[in-house]
Amino acid sequence: MFNNDTIAAIATSIGEGGIGVIRISGTNAKEIGLKVLKNKKNQTYMDFKTRQVYYGKVIDYQSGAILDEVLFFYSPEPRSFTAENTLEIQAHGGVYILGKILASVLSAGARMAEPGEFSKRAFLNGRIDLMQAESIIDLIRAKTDKAQQLALSQLTGRTSAGIFQLEAEIYEILVKIEAVLDFPEEGLPEIVRQDFSSKIKNLSLKIAQLLSDYDQGRKIREGITIVIIGQPNVGKSSLLNWFLEEERAIVTDIPGTTRDLIEAQIQLSGIPVRLIDTAGIRETDNPIEQIGINKAKQALLEADLILWLLDISQPLTEADLSLAKQFEAQKGLIILNKTDLPRKLDQTNLNEIVDWPVFETSLVNRIGLEELEQEICTQVGIGKLQVDERPLLSRIRHKQALQKAQMALESFQAALELQLSEDLLAIDLREALTALAEITGKNVTTEIIDGIFSQFCIGK
Amino acid sequence: MKYEVIVVGAGHAGCEAALAAARLGAKTLIITISPDTIGAMSCNPAIGGPAAKSHLVRELDALGGEMARVIDQTYLNIRRLNETRGPAVTALRAQADKKLYQAEMTLRLEREPNLTVKQGLVTELMVEDNRVTGVALKSGRIYQAATVILATGTFLGGQIVIGNIKYSGGRQGEPAALELSESLSKHGIKLRRFQTATPPRIHQRSVDFSKISAQPLQDLKWGFSWDGLKNELPQTPCWLTQTTPETIALIREKINFSPIKSGAVVSQGPHFCPSIDRKVINFPEKTDHLIFLEPEGIYTEEMYLLGLTTAMPEVIQEEILRTIPGLDKVEIIRPGYAVEYDCLAAWQFFSSLESKQIANLFTAGQLNGTSGYEEAAVQGLIAGVNAVRKLRQQAPFIPDRTNSYIGVLIDDLATKEVHEPYRMMTSLAEFRLFLRLDNSLARLISSAENLGILNQVQLAQRKKLLSEAEELADYLKQTKIKPQSNFWQKRNMINPERGVRLNEIPLRPELSERDLADDFPEILNYSAPMREYLWNETKLAGYLSRQQTELAEMQRLNEIMIPVDFDFIKLPKISEMGIKLLRKVRPLTLGQALRIPELTAADQTVLLLFFSDHYKNSTFALDKVSSDSKK
Repeated sequence: MFNNDTIAAIATSIGEGGIGVIRISGTNAKEIGLKVLKNKKNQTYMDFKTRQVYYGKVIDYQSGAILDEVLFFYSPEPRSFTAENTLEIQAHGGVYILGKILASVLSAGARMAEPGEFSKRAFLNGRIDLMQAESIIDLIRAKTDKAQQLALSQLTGRTSAGIFQLEAEIYEILVKIEAVLDFPEEGLPEIVRQDFSSKIKNLSLKIAQLLSDYDQGRKIREGITIVIIGQPNVGKSSLLNWFLEEERAIVTDIPGTTRDLIEAQIQLSGIPVRLIDTAGIRETDNPIEQIGINKAKQALLEADLILWLLDISQPLTEADLSLAKQFEAQKGLIILNKTDLPRKLDQTNLNEIVDWPVFETSLVNRIGLEELEQEICTQVGIGKLQVDERPLLSRIRHKQALQKAQMALESFQAALELQLSEDLLAIDLREALTALAEITGKNVTTEIIDGIFSQFCIGK
Repeated sequence: MKYEVIVVGAGHAGCEAALAAARLGAKTLIITISPDTIGAMSCNPAIGGPAAKSHLVRELDALGGEMARVIDQTYLNIRRLNETRGPAVTALRAQADKKLYQAEMTLRLEREPNLTVKQGLVTELMVEDNRVTGVALKSGRIYQAATVILATGTFLGGQIVIGNIKYSGGRQGEPAALELSESLSKHGIKLRRFQTATPPRIHQRSVDFSKISAQPLQDLKWGFSWDGLKNELPQTPCWLTQTTPETIALIREKINFSPIKSGAVVSQGPHFCPSIDRKVINFPEKTDHLIFLEPEGIYTEEMYLLGLTTAMPEVIQEEILRTIPGLDKVEIIRPGYAVEYDCLAAWQFFSSLESKQIANLFTAGQLNGTSGYEEAAVQGLIAGVNAVRKLRQQAPFIPDRTNSYIGVLIDDLATKEVHEPYRMMTSLAEFRLFLRLDNSLARLISSAENLGILNQVQLAQRKKLLSEAEELADYLKQTKIKPQSNFWQKRNMINPERGVRLNEIPLRPELSERDLADDFPEILNYSAPMREYLWNETKLAGYLSRQQTELAEMQRLNEIMIPVDFDFIKLPKISEMGIKLLRKVRPLTLGQALRIPELTAADQTVLLLFFSDHYKNSTFALDKVSSDSKK
């Protein structure tokens, strides 16, 4: 599973940025580099100096043809990310060229890296701990400045510190219980269950806080999903385009033409937002249209916020009502568009259908849009998303561990109320601690490790 | 003379080792400095007690050990402790008649076929090609053996300390084994010093019982052994008193005479058994330390003072005692003292208890760094069993820590470095709820059968107990309390909407087994421990099943073997530190390796990935370790 064979992969996201990096790691990184890299004068290198940036050319190992002009540098073990011999080649972005370079490196003796294999090696070589390994996934995936800050703050182990404190407080209680379990007849102070109960309630609140931090962390990393719904021809595509400020969706008044989901990435206050325009959701016999409708429903269920667009110049229909009713449990805004036209919509009963704030806009005249944007930010909590001093958790495993800990603490509370014996109380607290230890990499099981590393993109 | 097994030392470890080996059919010799002190209780005259000591004794008994049977015939009183804290920590404690206990144990050794008892002081281990071949005695006599078990207790390099006086001795009034340490060191075995201490023994007639209170006696129908109590013995209580502010003031005044203060004792003593001097130093504000006055036997007037361990000079001990209610005219028969002794440094033996330096040499008890008769006894049995299995080229018996405290103890000793004498506490087990007194027979019956220490009659009796439990389970499952039954009214409970099966009763916290027995006296036909076993299994079912997955995961890791001669440098990407640690510990299973505390997460991952991938399905015929985990 881990021999020192040399692996290679494209280490930057494909199709992004002007520069692409090919990373080669393992015993023969240098030898492979010497085979595919030439100097300015197309001469073969005799050796690479350590950690010096070279300017040269990369060739196709099979044909000898020059592929690209590149910058590269070599770091011998253990002073590299993976703690192995590492060669990094910076080439000009394009997918085609990077692919050719990688193919050349592979034919010169490297093996294609498995997903996450670089970080896995770094982890196995003791360069980084579990938490850091996870943060690297974040760093790599970070699309905006704030996400990058978060990823970096986690590398310093600040998150772990928050968990450690929580751990310590649970230990404090557990130790008291364990003492009376193992040392009866020693005149130990009696267990005061009420004290435990209030302390644990506090800890539950702390975990709840960490969990809501998690949610913010997720939003910073993955972005927020906003879905636009509404009957055909109420202005959904126009709204999307206003956000995009470019003509990406067709704006038309023929019902049902926007069949598939239109998805766009935008930024609101520095937070990535997935904006999805749904096909008009309505009853239909057309199978192709039905596919669009099903996709739309799925997107709606995953949305952080729903924008329900209504045409103020048309009366409310049964179709409108049944559409909105399906999503009443979710967060949303009601947007009454086309205020430039005569009002025919009776909005008095709107909030009986869904309890969402109501906004009026005219997309044609660009009225009410700034206010709408602000309200959207408020609704999804973007304004509050800050990398602050509280520990932020941003991986699903952290969340699950915290939830497990919280469940154990709830079970502890229940056991206290049922007057269950101390040997059982101890089990709940131990379970909470085992869960918390999972965050800091204390309980490493094959499943967790494989889970983490399978999340890596190739070469990250 | 050539033996198959020689046991050196006849304390609690030595006795169990010798009996187990002999009962497995090996020609066994046990050598003791004094046949008068076989099975002696050097400290507290009691078996079991808090933490997991009684759990160990029940487990030992389930496998065929002797301690439980002997104490069941020689107790002065027997009690259940900690019941209110729950079934996992409910424990048994018996006050022992220490002389009867010794006599009873001595008889059993002397009468055991295949076992020879001899007096002698072992001075040297005979070793050829890193394999033990026998022992040499101070008398010059040499006994040859294929395997040797050392159970030297506090006698190896033993030094008695009282005040600032120090002299050689293994127990007060008995000589130490001085030369043997050197012989061990010569073969590369690393030793260290541990220390333990004992309180003064006083004359019963000097106690004013009117000033102190007797601990209530309990009427128990079942003791330690799964054989059951043969006869209920008349019981004598322990007595309770406590220190006073005067006691504390006096100790503080005289503290410089304490060996721990004067520096006469530097080695590490057990934290869980602090001397009264230590208590006063560490908790100066506490003045009311509990003191138990314990009878030591029917053929002696001596009483033991639990809670008053000290190695202060004798005169000061007397002064201290006289500040305590009931002891104002106390007469000390034996003063308290400390003893320092040689024991093995960490990682000198495998979890089979076989030495890493000398093949066929096994060690048990205080020599392995533990404290307590019970801890010693279980190691004795394991060493005895594994010595014989080694002779017969069978895989060692290494109990799994998910299935017994014996497993927890042995795994801890082989894996972790301890800095003070190790005592078996329930908190050291990950799955405490599974390791109860009441289910120890069910847990270990298949191991007992595989080992073969118990004879067929004994095994059959124990299996009968378990089938009784099955019968009872059936009865509880099939019998219902009707909704309109007066069972509910009698207990001021609301009539349920449907019939309630008897096996649902334990799930109601407000009902006890007593309630069940009152209305369904049929269940009293079943023996008390089996009723308790079933009651607890039912009551705890929810918690047990919650932990089952985790337990199975640990068991799975414990079943992945690492070859005994595996060189850890072969592990790809392992750290230097990791190699060093693993070479020191030499774990025999992946589970054990992962429990090495100092190992980094990265090294753990290497182990996990390497062994679970490469060795999961392969078998190592020579080194395969048998496991007693329930399949």
